[in-house]
Amino acid sequence: MLKSIFTATAALALSTAMSNAQDLSAMSWDEIVAQAQEEGELTWYVWYLQDDLRRAVQAFEEEYGIDVTIPEGTNASNADKLLAERDRETGDIDVFAWGYDSFANVTLDELFMPLTMLPEDAGRVSSLAGVDGGDHVLAFWGNQSGIAYDPAHVDAENLPQTPEDFAAFWQANPGRFGFNYENGGSGPSYYQNMLRAMTGVDFSDGEVTDDRIAALEPGFDFFNEHAEHYVITAGNADSIIRVSDGELWMVPAWEDHLAGLQNRGEVRDDIAFYIPEMGMNGGGNGVAIPLNAPHPAAALVFMNWLTSAETQTMFNSTFGTAPMNTAADDSAALVPNEQRAFSTVWGAQPFRGAVEEAFIDAVILER
Amino acid sequence: MTLRRWLTVILLLLPGLGLILGLIGTVVWIAIAQSFGLYGLNGEDQFTLQYWAEVTDRRVFARSIRYSFYVGTVSAILSVALAYPLAIWLRKPFTGSMTIGAILKAPMLVHGLVAAFLFINVIAYHGILNQAMQALGIWDEPRRLQNDSNAIGVLILQVWKNMPFALLLLTGAVQGISDDVLDAARDLGAGAWDRFRKVIAPLSISAMQAAMVIIFIGAMADFSFQVIAGPTNRQSMSQLMVFFKDRGDWHSAAVVGVTLMGLAMLGASALAFLARLVMKGRSR
Amino acid sequence: MTREQLNKALLILLLVICTIWLVIPFGMAILWSLVDPSEPWTADRLLPPAMSFWRWRDMWENSSLQVAMATSYTLAPLAALLSLALATPTAYALGRIAFPGRELAKLLCLLPLVVPGFVTAIFFTSLLFQLGLHTWRFGAILFAHAVLALPYAIRIMTVSFEQVRQDHIDAARDLGATPLARFRVAFLPALRPGIFATLLIVFIQSIEEFAIAFILGSPDVVTIPTLLFSALGQDYVRPNAAVLSLILVVPNVILMLILERLLKSANPTLASGKG
Repeated sequence: MLKSIFTATAALALSTAMSNAQDLSAMSWDEIVAQAQEEGELTWYVWYLQDDLRRAVQAFEEEYGIDVTIPEGTNASNADKLLAERDRETGDIDVFAWGYDSFANVTLDELFMPLTMLPEDAGRVSSLAGVDGGDHVLAFWGNQSGIAYDPAHVDAENLPQTPEDFAAFWQANPGRFGFNYENGGSGPSYYQNMLRAMTGVDFSDGEVTDDRIAALEPGFDFFNEHAEHYVITAGNADSIIRVSDGELWMVPAWEDHLAGLQNRGEVRDDIAFYIPEMGMNGGGNGVAIPLNAPHPAAALVFMNWLTSAETQTMFNSTFGTAPMNTAADDSAALVPNEQRAFSTVWGAQPFRGAVEEAFIDAVILER
Repeated sequence: MTLRRWLTVILLLLPGLGLILGLIGTVVWIAIAQSFGLYGLNGEDQFTLQYWAEVTDRRVFARSIRYSFYVGTVSAILSVALAYPLAIWLRKPFTGSMTIGAILKAPMLVHGLVAAFLFINVIAYHGILNQAMQALGIWDEPRRLQNDSNAIGVLILQVWKNMPFALLLLTGAVQGISDDVLDAARDLGAGAWDRFRKVIAPLSISAMQAAMVIIFIGAMADFSFQVIAGPTNRQSMSQLMVFFKDRGDWHSAAVVGVTLMGLAMLGASALAFLARLVMKGRSR
Repeated sequence: MTREQLNKALLILLLVICTIWLVIPFGMAILWSLVDPSEPWTADRLLPPAMSFWRWRDMWENSSLQVAMATSYTLAPLAALLSLALATPTAYALGRIAFPGRELAKLLCLLPLVVPGFVTAIFFTSLLFQLGLHTWRFGAILFAHAVLALPYAIRIMTVSFEQVRQDHIDAARDLGATPLARFRVAFLPALRPGIFATLLIVFIQSIEEFAIAFILGSPDVVTIPTLLFSALGQDYVRPNAAVLSLILVVPNVILMLILERLLKSANPTLASGKG
């Protein structure tokens, strides 16, 4: 019985929300902007750097006279809220930001509005980090994983670039290299690229077979042979903090995360960052509009602004992110452009998930 | 029991247990259904045993059960064992006893996340503990204490946070024992240990069980202490659950969740039963 | 050794333990809260290189802290009272009436404790949304917290009810006391510690709970843990978290002391009379 209540309300919510979206799709862009201004406000759920983003969206508020609220919250809590209120007729979320690969974990058209009424802009990016956002998700924040290091102990001229280089570093400096396997993607980006570089397995193929997992064995053995020499950390933030404290000398990290912590005076600002030649993954965040958004027109106008070339250029210069509009200027990135060439794409699902499970079983639990 | 008496009991249970069964029972049902492939958040809805078969087959599953059980049991026993003597000591008020009580209870008022971050600071590689040990000449070089593989860090945090809770319950119970009873026991020649075993323990066993059970469940289901301070080569059940959930694999997460619920209930009853057995009290 | 000497020795021992127990963690928190944003405090230094009250001022003036505190400190006491009220009848039945299945009922009362966090976060709130509770967000959070804290309230009050002595009730009745008077003389002294413990525990549960308060309340109703989790989340700013936690501990301790004083009757040991 309960089940039927759930599905009935879900269907009801879906149909009303659909009609909202359809109303909008019948309008011209000017009409949508007019309605957005009538709505007058919107709530953007974004899970990081809320203070800085509140400052960044002031330009939008001034231009359109629409107020943007950015509530406090975390990645997990925002996602839980999105799912908990998916059956409500009108929810609280207008624009929802999420790690781009997280969007792959849900069925997009059941949760989010199609964005086909946005004005044509060929520069927008809807496919990132191996995930295709289709008509429902647009990227607004590009970031890069790489290696953060302590220049007081590591020679910037002689940075490890390949799995063999890293093994040499581990042996020469036992206990000074650390990476996480959960609570953030920097460590997974590191070990997956190590595995790829060592075994040559094609990560862009999402198919899971026993043979393909078995082909990674030599990589697992490599990590196990050197198990004594590296440290497993508790997460993205833990890694960077332990470099700042002088305990570790080298850890995988996200470029924008490191920059954010440095700006806040949380970690030393002499910690440097590079992308090794073997490659590490680029990633990013996307935005989408829930079907039951209370201010759908304002949400659309905001997304149009957020993903425009001008805003993306501004983000690049303010946050050092990789612009998510091909027409934007990307000259202000934290990493030199020749290193950007080493950026790789996340492995395709479900293979990537299977690799992570296998890595935990074969390497992490063996420690 | 008469019908009338039954009716009274049911009416009395309604606002408490009734609400729990009505609301949380529904939620528990959803979790169970999810573990069998129903209530999917991503479209597909089909009854299947596949998730149970797959998850229980993973090595990490059995290990997480063993680990969570270990953390739950040790935390519960340690917290209660530490709280008992303190409760007995504080049974009768004396100068300063209220201050001591307040100080001992203070950790309850510190948010768990904050406690964990303070703890990590203290034991960090260059943290105050390492520096003190080196200054005293006990250690030659800093030791890596964070995320130790025996989960000592997690246990310290659990006891720090939960001992006050046990103390709170036990103080109430121990204070309820009248002096006459204890005096009578003393007059009959019972030593301190006998008085504890034969008088105090039986009369406070309910409170002790309640403390034990609640701490056990909380520690067994722990996520935040484990993530910050726990060993990195093991996962607690909650951690494993979140691992699946973050991949959008709700059904596998539910399998772990349902197992956790079942084992927590089972463990709680077993612990309560054992406590009663050990104390050999003739409780009421 | 006399009891007095013993107490003295124990006091000294306790003082040492307290240092480890409280002074070190809180001292560290105070130091962290004073870290000036101009230079980070790395663990290889004993004291922060630059200290100021900047973070305290900034936190107090620029965040939603004041609103969040008002919400949380209204919410938590109400949740404690509501939970106590809902739990008392059940606890009475479990503590004073012998009925078949009582042990099972006691066990089932623990359910809210064992349900995994993500399940309550998504499905319990979803249920509350469907019951239409979200029209009054504050009320929805209040109700949710009271229900989730029921296991504590029920178990603690059950223990208290078990400790009420039948001879006291009988004596009061024999003396012709009204039900209210009977409650006051026979029940209340034994229940007091339980009531205190319940209110305190539920208060703490409510003031610490994050996921449900966030999902039901955001963006309009903000509670303190929302700020705390933001400070300790992805952006993990330790000094800010330290400021927040210190700001929170002070009112908590004061509240606890007030509550203890209010409920501190004559010690039940002394009041209980002949056994």
